[in-house]
Amino acid sequence: MSTTNRKFVIAYIVLVGLPLLGMVAALRSGRHLTAPISVDGTWKIEANLTSIGNRSCANQVSSVLSSPLVISQSGPNLVVSSSSAKTSSGTIDGTNLQFPLVPAADSGCGNGQTITLAAVLDSKSDADTFAGHLTGTDCASCAPIEFHAIKQRKPRAAGAH
Amino acid sequence: MPNLFTLTFQLAVVLAVCRLVGELFRLIHQPKVVGEMFAGIMLGPSLLGWIAPHASAYLFPPTSLGFLSALSQVGVVVFMFLVGLGINPGELKKEGHSAVLTSHVSITAPFVLASALALFLYPRVSDSSVTFTNFALFMGAAMSITAFPVLARILSERNLLGSRLGTVAIACAAVDDVTGWCILAYIVVLVRAEHSSRTIWMTIIGLAIFGVVMIYVVRPLLRGFMRIYTKKGELSENLLALMILLVLASALMTEYLGIHLLFGAFLMGAIMPKGPRFVRYVLDRFETITITLLLPLFFAFTGLRTNIGLVKGSEMWMYCGLIILVATAGKLGGSTIAAWVTGMPIREAAGLGTLMNTRGLMELVILNIGLDIGVISPALFSMMVIMALVTTFMTTPVLKLICPEAMLNAPSESTVRPSSPTNVLPSESQVA
Repeated sequence: MSTTNRKFVIAYIVLVGLPLLGMVAALRSGRHLTAPISVDGTWKIEANLTSIGNRSCANQVSSVLSSPLVISQSGPNLVVSSSSAKTSSGTIDGTNLQFPLVPAADSGCGNGQTITLAAVLDSKSDADTFAGHLTGTDCASCAPIEFHAIKQRKPRAAGAH
Repeated sequence: MPNLFTLTFQLAVVLAVCRLVGELFRLIHQPKVVGEMFAGIMLGPSLLGWIAPHASAYLFPPTSLGFLSALSQVGVVVFMFLVGLGINPGELKKEGHSAVLTSHVSITAPFVLASALALFLYPRVSDSSVTFTNFALFMGAAMSITAFPVLARILSERNLLGSRLGTVAIACAAVDDVTGWCILAYIVVLVRAEHSSRTIWMTIIGLAIFGVVMIYVVRPLLRGFMRIYTKKGELSENLLALMILLVLASALMTEYLGIHLLFGAFLMGAIMPKGPRFVRYVLDRFETITITLLLPLFFAFTGLRTNIGLVKGSEMWMYCGLIILVATAGKLGGSTIAAWVTGMPIREAAGLGTLMNTRGLMELVILNIGLDIGVISPALFSMMVIMALVTTFMTTPVLKLICPEAMLNAPSESTVRPSSPTNVLPSESQVA
């Protein structure tokens, strides 16, 4: 083998072979990492709204729950949008998720009033459901409203199977 | 049925904004395609949707996006065929050890750094629906890609296509693109196999058979196109239609086999005959409508999916900065070191590294696939789009700084130049 070829082989091993080993090591060590549970997708929220009765802000709750919530997830950070609520941000920590919901239109409850959604994921069902309670802010007389949410199937993206 | 008024209005606005911003970018010595990429972002929620949400909702109602997406995908299918047609990995052989080592290092260096970065990012920007291996491999593929068409554009604008720097860069970019797309195909197969009734082995065997048929059966038949072109000096409309039919058939086959339409289109281009005049002739037939009309739609569609508002807070911007740093260190740093080790002067080697760091449009294509198959989140998609814009934008000024034109070699006889400033891909040989 000529000197040039020998140098090339050494350079190839150092600059290509070693990084490849490094990549394999990174892939192996990363297998043990866990990422936040996936809640990305569209969720239909179901709550027993008859229990609210004529309580103040009943309209607010029903208007927010009238259309499905679309959760867009990036790690523990959630962006929640819906045609009946303003886009808001939330978080997921373990199986607990929490985010505010602000009605898109005035529901007769005053501007800026929010409902806080706090829920626990059902980890046994591959995070296809979660349940929790809705609490109105600035509404001392409002008891938390229980609800459960079911994940809806996503339509297939263009070019996807 | 699409609302034709909305669709036509969208086409007009996208076309006008892309041309305008493209021309503005030319004034600051950037390739027009970089301006068009920025124009797409401007039309999305990051700018138009932010400052004029009602105008944005009127112009791009959610119900219209499916048609815009379909049209832009058709454009990208034809574009990927043209990219495959334009590349010629055989060029690498002519460039010897330097190009072989540089091209391989420019893939492995970003890959290993991206894998290390994935260890940090996976728990922070991903979720349990994506495995770490898929996430890390995708990050590696996305960071190791080089935008062959933009690179060719920059080289031609700086009159460098015939220089040693230009020829090595083009050869390395070709190898990088082929390798990057093979790795991406593997990732798509892995991800889709998780949600498909078809086993991964059936997909792999199917793809292997398809690849063998394409290379050993279809490729020799495709030489007929070049024979007719050489004999008559042109191809009839029927033959051009047949060529497009073959591209579509190949694209449909790869989609059916479980990867993506774009791989089939790219492969059909890659196995086409590589005679410079023939390649230029075919590019001229298809480039104008694709680059002038359909690609701006893809930029707009990508811009509509990019929401820089999702990159919130100092922490997220730190991730974004880290992504740009790692992508640049891997691609620019890796290529520079490899070229320097094989005997290229350090400034020229750094110039080569800078060119290899150009990601441009190819990066956007890959990122859209990643978002479609759910390997990356919308926020990470936005960060990666920012990385693609930054690394592409920085190429021209950094190259000027590192390699003043006077220090580079004069063009050689085998120079391949664009025939018009609108072309993104390299054009006909100037062999006299």
